[in-house]
Amino acid sequence: MEEERKTTAVAELIEKATNSIEPNLDPRLLKSIKFVVRSSELDLRIAAQTLMNLMKRDHSQVRYLTLLIIDELFMRSKLFRTLLVEKLDHLLSLSVGFRRNLPLPAPPAVASLLRSKAIEFLEKWNTTFGIHYRQLRLGYDYLKNTLRFQFPNLQANAARMQQQRSERERKTKEILLNKFQLLKGSFSTIKDEIQSTIDEIGECLDIIKSKDENMSLAPIDDEEMEEFRNSELRQIRFDSLKEGEKVHENSENKVVFDALRESYKLLVTKHLVSVQEWISVLIRVETSENRFRDLMLKEFIDIRNRVQLVKKKCEESGCILPNTKNHEEDDFWEEGQVETHGNGRINPPSKISEDTSIASTSHEKIEYAGYDDRGLNGNKPNHDGNKTDLDPLKSKLLAEAPVMNWGSFLDNWGSNRDFMAHQRGLELESHWGRVDYDAVIPAAKIAELNVQTTLYNEEPVALQECRAPLRKGGLCRRRDQRVCPFHGPIVCRDDEGKPIYQTSSVETTALDLGEDVLEQLAQQAVSNVRKNDQEEAKKKEHDKKSLKRARLAKVREHNDAVLRDAALASTSGSQHFGEDMGTMGGSSSTRNKKQTLASMLKKKVTVKDRLSQRLLNTRVRDSTTKQLTLGEDAKYREAFPNQW
Amino acid sequence: MWKQVRERETGVINSKLFTRRVKSDRVSSLQLSNHKEIVSAHRGAINSLQVDLTEGRYLLSGGSDASVAVYDVQRATEYVAGGLVAKHKNILLVDKQHEHGHKYAVSSAIWYPVDTGLFVTGSYDHFVNVWDTNTTQVVMNFKMPGKVYKTAMSALSTSHMLIAVGSEDVQVRLCDIASGAFSHTLSGHRDGVMSLEWSTSSEWVLLTGGRDGAIRFWDIRRAGCFSVLNQSHTQLGRRPPFLQRVSTNKASTSKSSLASVSSKSKTSQRKHVNGNGSKQSSAAKKNVIQEKASAGKRLHPGLISSRDRSTAHYGAVIGLKMTSDGQYLLSAGSDSRLRLWDVESCCNTLVNFDIVRLQTSKPMQLAVSPDPDLVFVPCMSTVKAFSMWSGQTMLSFRNHYDNVNSCWYNEQDQELYTGASDRQILVWSPFKSNLEHEGVAPDQDNWSD
Repeated sequence: MEEERKTTAVAELIEKATNSIEPNLDPRLLKSIKFVVRSSELDLRIAAQTLMNLMKRDHSQVRYLTLLIIDELFMRSKLFRTLLVEKLDHLLSLSVGFRRNLPLPAPPAVASLLRSKAIEFLEKWNTTFGIHYRQLRLGYDYLKNTLRFQFPNLQANAARMQQQRSERERKTKEILLNKFQLLKGSFSTIKDEIQSTIDEIGECLDIIKSKDENMSLAPIDDEEMEEFRNSELRQIRFDSLKEGEKVHENSENKVVFDALRESYKLLVTKHLVSVQEWISVLIRVETSENRFRDLMLKEFIDIRNRVQLVKKKCEESGCILPNTKNHEEDDFWEEGQVETHGNGRINPPSKISEDTSIASTSHEKIEYAGYDDRGLNGNKPNHDGNKTDLDPLKSKLLAEAPVMNWGSFLDNWGSNRDFMAHQRGLELESHWGRVDYDAVIPAAKIAELNVQTTLYNEEPVALQECRAPLRKGGLCRRRDQRVCPFHGPIVCRDDEGKPIYQTSSVETTALDLGEDVLEQLAQQAVSNVRKNDQEEAKKKEHDKKSLKRARLAKVREHNDAVLRDAALASTSGSQHFGEDMGTMGGSSSTRNKKQTLASMLKKKVTVKDRLSQRLLNTRVRDSTTKQLTLGEDAKYREAFPNQW
Repeated sequence: MWKQVRERETGVINSKLFTRRVKSDRVSSLQLSNHKEIVSAHRGAINSLQVDLTEGRYLLSGGSDASVAVYDVQRATEYVAGGLVAKHKNILLVDKQHEHGHKYAVSSAIWYPVDTGLFVTGSYDHFVNVWDTNTTQVVMNFKMPGKVYKTAMSALSTSHMLIAVGSEDVQVRLCDIASGAFSHTLSGHRDGVMSLEWSTSSEWVLLTGGRDGAIRFWDIRRAGCFSVLNQSHTQLGRRPPFLQRVSTNKASTSKSSLASVSSKSKTSQRKHVNGNGSKQSSAAKKNVIQEKASAGKRLHPGLISSRDRSTAHYGAVIGLKMTSDGQYLLSAGSDSRLRLWDVESCCNTLVNFDIVRLQTSKPMQLAVSPDPDLVFVPCMSTVKAFSMWSGQTMLSFRNHYDNVNSCWYNEQDQELYTGASDRQILVWSPFKSNLEHEGVAPDQDNWSD
């Protein structure tokens, strides 16, 4: 009894571990399997049996997880190995799928993963245990040399990398050693060369200094000191004084300066660099002559220090230009640092609106009309910031005020006077007859003319995301106005995608624009236009030839009848076109179910599938062909009306 | 094991019995050998395997890539992994590069039965070549009218050197090495001949199995075949008259005496197969040549032709093997059946071998082991060992990755060699406990947690 209970426990554990859609095994289950199997041989046998049975499952995911368990046990237990290699060909055909009549089962993505893993495992097993199991060697050999599977070749790759690295190291060592030998030969000459350059520079400097000695420094009087109280100015002064101390190039010492510069250049660009290089070579090289190396290293460091000293001296003597240049550049860049803008969101439309507002500052109202606050929510506070002194009433009105486009009519905004029709500020001699200078356009008429028509602008609605939970995890990102084509009407959902039921829908408060005047004006304009139209229509009605119209009506009636016939003939078939929607619905109930092993096998229904289901079923096809033949018939009859 | 040794020492069991027991113990523990490995030199399927009959040492293999190789199965050429694995590399290889090599697949390669100085190969390029082993040169060749499926030489023969060749052609030809010409043309089959076997009891009797499903017996001293096996003939007929038995007794004495040695021990085993206790006694006295017995009563010409048309298998006969005592014949057919025939009575013994499936397109090579009476049959990618009398599967050898074409049982070492389409020649040897060798990580449990 006890035995039986335990054995089923192993099988159950394995079943449980493999019945998962995760790409990895549950480590706790794996551990417990290992624990159980380790303690008893019988359990191990049963585990091997169960695993082989599971490998026969018609599901790649199950096989994949089983293979992972097999690998774990294979690497550990000898008995398991001996049990398994007996059926290795079977195992390989189930996991690699190399037999054409036994391909790997359904989810193709997992199947390819399974194959690559199996090949990897086989290689691992072969390298570790191949020597003890001929079967492993055979399987590996067959897959590799007969079927030409690509093995990952992990070990060989690692070995090759290692070899390459050691090769590289060996080469660098050789090069270093060569350099070291070279250095040994030419050490004294290098040293002499550098020494000679340094000497040269020293002589040059001496010459310059000796020439300088007769020059005296300008005395510094206290008055001046007082003047330059500012520390910066004082600094400048010191600098200039120092500059004065330096020897300046002139026609007399030009030759010396040239020589100095030359040798300085040589020292910096060649000797200093080469000395640094040699030092690094000496540090890295591995040689038996350690004492000699240390000696050379010491000398080189000495030389370097000396060279640097000389270099500094040269620079102090002021014969080197590039350094100062660098300083200037640094200064320039420091000053030129541009302060960053806090608000990076300035976009072109807002700029334009700013411009308009600036252009029309003389008219308060217009200024506000110029704001196009649709796209500028982010910038609005900035503008409001300037006008914090507005009283609340005014700000309230501003909030309510309609937004107008900018135009010339704004010049006369709010003026309520009559216009003189013929006085435009310019006296024009009119030659086209008498002009009534007192003609007046009444204010009402002006207002009517000024009525602003606006095209209906659809308000850009922020499209909501559907946010229905998807089967593969995550929420639906589809944006739509009301209905998502996949998940139905868009409603408010929480973070997990569950709909939040709202009791009250968002009330659409009609904006009370408060533009009575405008409305009145519009009405007036409309009524005026209508009056004119009516008069004209009346006139026409009486004028037109009613007879002709009657005849036309007759013709039309006839045409209609013919068309109706034709339409009936064609629509009798086509009225069914695309009416099969109802028959294939009802699959949406499975949408939100949890993923299982079975669902992995299900083929995903793609857009193409749905379309083909709708368009390629027999009824639709029949009706389409019918329609086409009818169309052809009609065409034929039209072309040859007298042939029957 | 030790008990048997003790018994042998005290003389409780005789030496023959002792050998038999040890051998059967060893055979029943055959498994894939990890310490002996034949490195196949072929780049195609292995079609034929044979160990030479004189020394039992040189394995001759013929492959689909028109190559023939010889391996020494006694001495390894190389040891790897600290002597754990012995590799046997070919000591001789003839392939397409050879100036007289075959152009197409070698379907059959056999040793000259008397010594290893010659071997014979038959190929799909219509040629049968006779090779000198030492110089690897062709000493003689025979052009056949079609693809050669099988060649055979009699192990018993002392008076002839004939190679029997089965080919696509309906006629079986016998090539005489001594003269270099065809000495016989045996016609009777209605389709190509895929399997051939010389009788192990008489040097004159040849058995052929054709693609027409017939198995014919030929006496090469006479014209025509003398018997055709009929699969529906399962009962012994009327007992032949006493007088004729006496007259024919002379001819069969040599044979029956030969068989009597082993028949004693087998009697009990065979009884339940045949279900005919009286058969044993009559079989020993019966004539090999059935025709003679039936010659007494004159047959109707139509009846003759109907007997001539009888078949042993539905479909082609793809393998033939005679037991070493020459009393029984095993035949494999493309109808996935293995039949055991009683040679003397030409009866189908109706032993049911539980074979699932046999390959159908190629001829194949069966092997028998005499001591525990086992027959090794390639069943697709596995080789199965059946008990010859009960037909039960005793052992199953599965590690080939493609169809197995041939197997050879080496009686001397109790080893089985199998060649398959996956280019491997595998050695199956009696279980040997794995000795740990230095230089190799021991194979043991490794539980880290």
